[in-house]
Amino acid sequence: MQDLAVLFKGNNLARLLGGLGVTLKLSLLSVALSVALGLIVGALMTLKNPVVRAFFRLWLETVRIVPQLVLLFLVYFGLAKAFNIQISGETAAVAVFTFWGAGEMGDLVRGAITSIPVHQRESSAALGLTRGQCWRFVLLPQAARRLVPQAINLATRMIKTTSLVMLIGVVEVLKVGSQIIDAARYDAPQAAVWIYAVVFFLYFLACWPISLVAGRLEKRWA
Amino acid sequence: MSDKPILEVRHLSKNFDANGVLKDVSFAMKEGEVIVVVGPSGCGKSTLLRCINGLERPDGGEILLDGQRIDTGADLVQVRRQVGMVFQSYDLFPHMDVLGNLTLGPVQALKRPKPEVEAEAEQALARVGLAEKAKSLPRQLSGGQKQRVALVRAMLMHPRLLLLDEITAALDPEMVREVLNVVLDLAREGMTMLIVTHEMRFAEAVADRVLFLEGGLVLEEAPPKQFFHHPQTERAQQFLNTFEFDAVR
Amino acid sequence: MKKLFALILVLAIALIPAAFADAKARTLDEIKESGTLTIGVFSDKKPFGYVDETGEYQGYDVYFARRLAEDLGVELELVSVDAPNRVEYLTSAKVDIILANFTVTPERAEVVDFALPYMKVALGVVSPDAALITDIEGLRGKTLIVSKGTTAETWFTANEPDVNLLKFDTYTETFNALLDGRGDALSTDNTEVLAWAIENPGFTVGIESLGSLDTIAPAVQKGNDTVLAYINEEIEALAAENFFHADYEATLKEVYGDAVDPDNLVVEGGVIE
Repeated sequence: MQDLAVLFKGNNLARLLGGLGVTLKLSLLSVALSVALGLIVGALMTLKNPVVRAFFRLWLETVRIVPQLVLLFLVYFGLAKAFNIQISGETAAVAVFTFWGAGEMGDLVRGAITSIPVHQRESSAALGLTRGQCWRFVLLPQAARRLVPQAINLATRMIKTTSLVMLIGVVEVLKVGSQIIDAARYDAPQAAVWIYAVVFFLYFLACWPISLVAGRLEKRWA
Repeated sequence: MSDKPILEVRHLSKNFDANGVLKDVSFAMKEGEVIVVVGPSGCGKSTLLRCINGLERPDGGEILLDGQRIDTGADLVQVRRQVGMVFQSYDLFPHMDVLGNLTLGPVQALKRPKPEVEAEAEQALARVGLAEKAKSLPRQLSGGQKQRVALVRAMLMHPRLLLLDEITAALDPEMVREVLNVVLDLAREGMTMLIVTHEMRFAEAVADRVLFLEGGLVLEEAPPKQFFHHPQTERAQQFLNTFEFDAVR
Repeated sequence: MKKLFALILVLAIALIPAAFADAKARTLDEIKESGTLTIGVFSDKKPFGYVDETGEYQGYDVYFARRLAEDLGVELELVSVDAPNRVEYLTSAKVDIILANFTVTPERAEVVDFALPYMKVALGVVSPDAALITDIEGLRGKTLIVSKGTTAETWFTANEPDVNLLKFDTYTETFNALLDGRGDALSTDNTEVLAWAIENPGFTVGIESLGSLDTIAPAVQKGNDTVLAYINEEIEALAAENFFHADYEATLKEVYGDAVDPDNLVVEGGVIE
């Protein structure tokens, strides 16, 4: 039980929660920006213009092929090295995760829009609706319903991936856990299991409400 | 009933379209008239309807509605508010209930007050026997019910002209009748309709005139009795024969 | 198509940093002017750099970092670094100094400038008592756990190709891996394994000194001469008060107890006897 006690020693629990705060701040900011940008990007991705298509193709392939860690290093260390642009680890993290999220989200939005049968567009046109009205009342509401499950999946993936930011000096929940385990490793070498269990639980707490909201939305729209 | 044509199609042509091509199609229809277009698949029937409604731009010829050119691509929204169209696939909006589907056009496109449109929509639903379905979602309806709703949706725009593009083609046979009865009622009420269908008995019953279209040309234009019982061209005869069967023994 | 694309992308990423001059680190005057000295330390490597339960940085490196800032008359900002990215923090000018148990090697000396040493170490190998490994012979064909970017990884890769290396990103992971039995032994600096074995019954340091005797020194960005000179002056001057012995007493003693003679680890005035 000495191992579990490590959790309540000093400010350890508060520090873990603080770390969770950093994780949530970074991920929620990135997710919010990704969703907002992704809607615009997705609409643009449906355009037929070859230049536009090539641009978004390049973007999407970049975020799919390059590991997020490489992107983080590129932005955090690379910008500093190449252009002497010094940005904080948190800024770099939000920039990279938004770059990633907006690309992926855009592709989800594009998929959701193009999966709507062409008849939906035609029959709203036949009803005398303008293009804008067609998007607002017919296409976007249907796209949103198709989008929610995939967007939730992306958001939870982003929350979990934020643990990478510890490697650019940002101390988030997993790094705090690692620090606590290390500081106690001579006194309570088995504490790791407990600390990781708590970290797991905290991640769960962070992602659970999102899944809950998603489930409710899906049920309402099913 | 005025003698001025409500719709005039002059030398209409359209190349390279998935639904068939039009070479040279001309006809006119008067207010209250019902014209049925028949012909083998790929003959350009659907393309004709899609051109009139502005979903396709014709390559040549003219289309006039009440004497005004409507084939220029300008003011498409205005054209579609006067020309209603119902398609083969049940194209209701799946995320809205029946009432939502019915009121979207009149409220958003025509800017009519919602309560007034809803009252009218409920009356119209009752007339086609779907009064209790107002709050249902499209996927809770049968195919026949969906097409009846689609007809009501088009009618609530009070169009000058209604285009029906094979509206029973995707239906199970036992549902065809309930949909066609609605169309017959509309015809009796004096609705001007241009109908593409493969239901020959129905065509005979509802049409004032029949256009036989093949290879993008009008091969025959006649009253239904004459067309179905004494077709003038050999192609029309062959076409009508495809609906007959010889006894097995 | 996709492969070609990936190749171009990888090349671009590899070439971008090479195509430009490194970000210039701050001079001593610029640091004084800003009022803050930024030092990269470990945050999960007790007893050298770690965070205690109140959230404060502690350890042998941190003790020295505090003194460097104090004598310069500026505030100290500590940044959490990990073994694999210590060099990056210097080349990209994210920190002024790295004080993260940085072992001096010729390869590293090509990319950063080392100050005088303040500690000396060799490699040690710890293994479970049940299958204790006491010489290099016994390691061959076995799985050895190491931390990425450490001297242990470099030394074994270069000198002992028959030892299978199992690599992890952080120290915490490596020791957990040994506890979980995912490898036969673990190697890192002997200071590390000695301290760890004392607190983990059932494990013993079978090989106490391996490889050449290494020194541990602060590092600055290559060419940052003013900061380098300041650190060297400090190390030389602090010898008068036996500063690093005091540092040992304050931070390492509680871990090593009497098992280790401080003079075997501590270097005063940058002089190796």
